[in-house]
Amino acid sequence: MSKRHLTISLNEVLFYFTRAAFGVNAPIGLSEDFARGNIWVSENGFDPSRCSLKALDNLDSKASSLSIKFEKTKDGGHLFCPEGKFLSSLEASSSCVDWIEVSNGSGALKISNVDSPFLVVSALGANGCLGIKVLWTDQEKNQFQVNLINNDDWEVLSSSSTLIELSSNADMLISPLTASDESNKGNIIKKFNLAEEKLKILHIGVKVEENWDAIYSYFSRCLVKSSAESRASGAGAGLVDTD
Amino acid sequence: MTTETVQIDIDSDFMRTPEKVMRLERMGSSFPTRLSFMRTLIRRMSKENWKFERTRREVDKDGYGISVYAVTTPNRTYSLIAFTQEIPADMRTDRVIAEVWDATFSLFDGVPSQEDIDYLADNTPKQEAGRYRPSELTLSRANKSLRVFKNVVDSLSAGNQPDKDLLTSVGYLMRTSAVYGSGKFGCADRDKISDREECKAPFQIELLTVYLIRWFTIDSAEELAKERGGEKAVKLDKTTRRFIGVGNATGLGMAPFLLKHPALIHNWVVAKETALARVRSIETPIEGTLKVFLKSLLQVSQHVDEWNVEDDIQSERISCLTDEIQALRLWCENEPNILRPYPWNGIYQYVEDNFSLECQEMVVSLIIEPHGALVDDLAETMSTTEIPKFKADMSLSELKEVVADSYQWATTIDFSLGESQHHFWYYSEDKLEPRFGSKGVDDGVEKEMPLAIGRDVHDLNEKLLETSNATSLSDFVMSYPQFRHIIRRIQNTFVRPYSEVQDNLLSETMRPLDLLRFKLAFFGASKFDPKSNLWTRISMYQGAPMPDQLSEPNHDCWSFPIGGRSQSYPCINCTCQKDI
Repeated sequence: MSKRHLTISLNEVLFYFTRAAFGVNAPIGLSEDFARGNIWVSENGFDPSRCSLKALDNLDSKASSLSIKFEKTKDGGHLFCPEGKFLSSLEASSSCVDWIEVSNGSGALKISNVDSPFLVVSALGANGCLGIKVLWTDQEKNQFQVNLINNDDWEVLSSSSTLIELSSNADMLISPLTASDESNKGNIIKKFNLAEEKLKILHIGVKVEENWDAIYSYFSRCLVKSSAESRASGAGAGLVDTD
Repeated sequence: MTTETVQIDIDSDFMRTPEKVMRLERMGSSFPTRLSFMRTLIRRMSKENWKFERTRREVDKDGYGISVYAVTTPNRTYSLIAFTQEIPADMRTDRVIAEVWDATFSLFDGVPSQEDIDYLADNTPKQEAGRYRPSELTLSRANKSLRVFKNVVDSLSAGNQPDKDLLTSVGYLMRTSAVYGSGKFGCADRDKISDREECKAPFQIELLTVYLIRWFTIDSAEELAKERGGEKAVKLDKTTRRFIGVGNATGLGMAPFLLKHPALIHNWVVAKETALARVRSIETPIEGTLKVFLKSLLQVSQHVDEWNVEDDIQSERISCLTDEIQALRLWCENEPNILRPYPWNGIYQYVEDNFSLECQEMVVSLIIEPHGALVDDLAETMSTTEIPKFKADMSLSELKEVVADSYQWATTIDFSLGESQHHFWYYSEDKLEPRFGSKGVDDGVEKEMPLAIGRDVHDLNEKLLETSNATSLSDFVMSYPQFRHIIRRIQNTFVRPYSEVQDNLLSETMRPLDLLRFKLAFFGASKFDPKSNLWTRISMYQGAPMPDQLSEPNHDCWSFPIGGRSQSYPCINCTCQKDI
């Protein structure tokens, strides 16, 4: 499985990405959320390994942290990492979905210094957080706005041709979508329809490219080395079955 | 149809409680019922008049090569592509770590082109080491039972029927050792097919694969006999063909599935328990049903007599079951015991009060069996598409209450004892084979699969008890993200009371075999033949109609099959009642 340019299924996205996150010591609950977000990413035609590797690398190298704090603000709330590191998008994703559920999406949520902003978007999409917009400007000064319009339709407005899935760390702002947000002059607009994209993916599979080997390598950390004893007894059956 | 449209009353007086049903010992005594998934599939095949055709057979004189078996439903065609090869006897293993198999299979979605077959010829024989596409729905393999396969081919080629005793003792020609679906190794995701009528019930496409493999095994043996015996060769007689099932060897891979899909398991169990409750609540029996039941007791005696295993524990259980079925027959012959209001409840209650779990669960299947018209609608409620969500708006006090009410079985376990945390589950790097380790003995405890439901609930409960109710749940999980998964699980299971195994899965005494049998019984498997606490062989489709028998009136009568009989005991729904 550790080959580049593979086509994998959505179920394999769930299987491998959950364990890849667990492999960089993310708690299993966050790992499951991370994998669900990656399914949404895949269903929309993106390569999930391209979207996610940076977030896993950052956790592995401890450049990012799962440590998070919330404080109320006059408009809504603010999520940040109290350790002065990047806030891991794995933790930011789950926490912002929780905030939207509790607040019913009213008000604005600021998330500071998130390492992979698109993963936060993927969590919102995967959890059906609709009628909201997500804004950020990354380190390369690329501006992105994602409008999650309804169950199927969402769009990306960006100031450059930089791929949204590669967008670097940024402060993010999540707020209710208004009518004027849906047409923003001067930006590159890309529209998505989840139902249509997913149908395509179900028939062609999810393509994963150059980052897949690294994802698989994190996944492999969850596997236990086989010994002669475990091979002989761990599965409860013999090594030859002739009858 | 969903659970909302089919009448299900979890609070019925006749429903058995989750505390009674979802215990490992009882789960490990399960038998298939008429709601089992193979039964559902066979009924659909018959009702919709599915057409079966072998469309290709390109094999050498020893039967090695490529075959294609197609089935056409009202809306589409599925094709089983089979690859056969010669393998060394000492490489024949049922384990995941196997490298070669006598036969390998892909179920193709539609009619494969030559290009598709060429692609699969390069991949399917490699199984897990190959890669598959969304056009492939399942991946499977099987090995011969050498002595049965040889006896059948030798006998048929000489113009004789095979050794009935040998056939009855094994029950199949080949044994599958994995049937992968739902996106495994690149195959189609379940979402691709989940809207199709024939795929809505659980595991229908996997079980269609197994049904086609069964046909392939019988067809292959008959063709080989013809190749060797020429004009002298005969085919299997109709009764024997129907009796032959397909074997399966099942290990730990099934257990994690069961634990990772609590909502699905709830639906399975609620359907079965509702069926039982509906039958127990009948005040005056439907005409003919008691007679069918009494006849079935005779038949299961023979079925149990033919159920021979080497495992000491299961042998003892079977021996006890034999005596208990006999005792139940005698009890039923005393008419006042059954000719009274609520006779089914009376029978069930008598069995529960007096006999083993093995007998209780067999009687559950037997009393449900004649009531197809009353219970078959429940088969349509056994799926789910629900993805469990974390509900951040739940208060901490509510969560504490739910844990206290629904998870007492977990919070009262003393996990400080070594015996309570003896085992752990893990994936081996050896082909990702799932294994069951012992702490202090096996390496890899830090990489255990997150299947320790009881322990995780217990630890969460300890933390909740020291946390103020004023804390919001979202704040709690930000501080303690290690509990997010178990909180999500609790939030989604407490409203589904039959979703959790209410035992400690890490305990020294835990037998994964109980989980395997529970799941396999829902599939419709029979003749459980444990090879250890982690591993079992089974028979599938034994007694089920072959493709050319699906239109016969007794197509649904194959519960607890017996060798040498043309049909199973008659059900109340079909014309074979007149044979009573």
